[in-house]
Amino acid sequence: MDELYLDNIDEYVNDHDKIVTYKWLSLTLGVHVNTAKQMLFHYLDHKRKESSGQLHATYLVSGKMVDNGQTSHKVSVVREEQLEDFKAKMSLIVSVHVYSVQKALLKDSSPLYSVDYDAVRDNLKNCSRYSAIRCASAVPLSSVELQQTRQTPQAPTPEPAVKKSSMNGDLPLTSKPPAKQQKGIMGMFANKTASKNQDSSREVKSKQKEEADAPVVDVPKSKPAVKASPMTNFFGTQKAKKPDKSVKEEETAAAAAAAAQSSSTAPQQRPSSPPEEKQEAAAGQSTKNTKKDSRSKTKRIEDSDSEEEKMEKKKRRRIKKPEPDSSDEDVIPDSPQQMEIKESLPQPKKEIEPVSHSHPSLPVMKTRKRRRVLKSRTFLDDEGCIVTEKGYESESYSEAEEDVPVKQAPKNPFPAKLTASNKEDEKKGQKKTASANKGTKQASIMGFFQKK
Amino acid sequence: MTTLTRQDLNFGQVVADILCEFLEVAIHLILYVREVYPSGIFQKRKKYNVPVQMSCHPELNQYIQDTLHCVKPLIEKNDAEKVVVVIMDKEHHPVERFVFEISQPPLLSISSDTLLSHVEQLLRAFILKISVCDAVLNNNPPGCSFTVLVHTRDSATRNMEKVQVIKDFPWIVADEQEVHMQEPRLIPLKTMTSDIVKMQLYVEERAQKT
Repeated sequence: MDELYLDNIDEYVNDHDKIVTYKWLSLTLGVHVNTAKQMLFHYLDHKRKESSGQLHATYLVSGKMVDNGQTSHKVSVVREEQLEDFKAKMSLIVSVHVYSVQKALLKDSSPLYSVDYDAVRDNLKNCSRYSAIRCASAVPLSSVELQQTRQTPQAPTPEPAVKKSSMNGDLPLTSKPPAKQQKGIMGMFANKTASKNQDSSREVKSKQKEEADAPVVDVPKSKPAVKASPMTNFFGTQKAKKPDKSVKEEETAAAAAAAAQSSSTAPQQRPSSPPEEKQEAAAGQSTKNTKKDSRSKTKRIEDSDSEEEKMEKKKRRRIKKPEPDSSDEDVIPDSPQQMEIKESLPQPKKEIEPVSHSHPSLPVMKTRKRRRVLKSRTFLDDEGCIVTEKGYESESYSEAEEDVPVKQAPKNPFPAKLTASNKEDEKKGQKKTASANKGTKQASIMGFFQKK
Repeated sequence: MTTLTRQDLNFGQVVADILCEFLEVAIHLILYVREVYPSGIFQKRKKYNVPVQMSCHPELNQYIQDTLHCVKPLIEKNDAEKVVVVIMDKEHHPVERFVFEISQPPLLSISSDTLLSHVEQLLRAFILKISVCDAVLNNNPPGCSFTVLVHTRDSATRNMEKVQVIKDFPWIVADEQEVHMQEPRLIPLKTMTSDIVKMQLYVEERAQKT
């Protein structure tokens, strides 16, 4: 029994020509890592005594090293030949053990990583089962907590206790909603932000039930109501969306304004409703609120808000049209535009249509593009215009997309890679974008209407 | 879960793309491991989620890419039987041959959602095997060069000679001298079988290298 592992390792190393790392061995044989390290050491010892065949080994050395007067803890994988040298350089050696045994002399460390990759991947859930590193408080999140963390992607990262409970996260978050509120469409909400935040925090903490009455005014609005039924399902599955409150608060008013189809009536309706109820309606997005769906129609409006939070961009765009005077236009449109532009970035070749559509939005930054447009086409190639077209296209993008010219430039030497059909598509695309560019630059007002 | 046949050209292209990508990485790795070129021109890059060594020399990269670009149509139509990377010494006598035998089943079918990740895993194993192949091979003499040969089925090469896929990059019938190796020793390295392709890698090595 005790000698069996020697045969095992022998088989792996000599017959299969494998690289046997201690981690791989522990996962394969199902032993603790320290046992695996000892096995490898004994095997190496055994073989060296027999002096049969040529074996190479790598070692893991960990310890303190003084480098230019700075002490640092260094962990390295070194070849056997360099082991003694390396140990001599360290001031204090914490641990040395065999990392791997193999027949081949490795030129670099890449295969060592590859060896463990598949073994760890197969045992992903319990890859630390045999590990010697333990931490009692490091336990996987329960499914509830996992969902909470997934639904709070906008939670500011500096808040350390966010994941633990929604309550802890509320207070620091309330500082954000006021900033957003004042900027946004909710001029009408601006004077209610302070009390609203407190209400919202109180809301989520105590999980109030009476949030629903205020959105009664929103009921007549067709759009949120239409989304009501799918949204109830959607909302019923979610637990907590505390940081989304602030965005949803904006969306509430945004949706209300859009659905009302008259900007004037919406603000009037707002002040008419009790301010507190409105705040609760806008703020309360927790699960307890959703459970009261059946009780009041108004809750559905909040549900639709949660969906709107996802279609944030589109909502905002819709608002802009009927309310060209609203203050948020200056602030909000930038982000949807940039999102559009960035979406078109990764696929400059494939989606030529979206590119031409997003170009009208670029006039907002038109000053940056001017200089670069006038680049001469000098890269005439046997294969065709691809090289030249690329030169033009990269410049036609705004400075905000500087990485696009960088990415496309290295492709210039390989024009032969592209097939003929691709070239034609690109030529057409180029012309489209070129014409779109010229059209939009001259008339900035065009960009406003095409920002969908 | 879809079943596609060879007639579905898109699928053939997908398989050819996968294989050509793999062959490119494999050729670079062979050049690195067998020290055909100094290791300084290689840099670590990532493929199939593991680090691999790729060359940075533009002309070398261009040559390999052009080569595989011409091989790709053959693989698409399943005409390529073997792709061989031959390492030759100064006198242009082959010293080592890395043979990739490729065969594709006539009725390809994607029957599992995890097919591509499975294929990736198998290709990763190939890469790993190439990295450690110098355990079983003798060292090459200095001043080696390399070339790529393709063995095709039937007369697919006639088409290749007629139509130049890449301009100024002609393929010619290989000399007997380059193909034939004296006293070869066969060392199998790796085999893989998957739904879309079967591949075998072995090395033929000349018994006396210097």
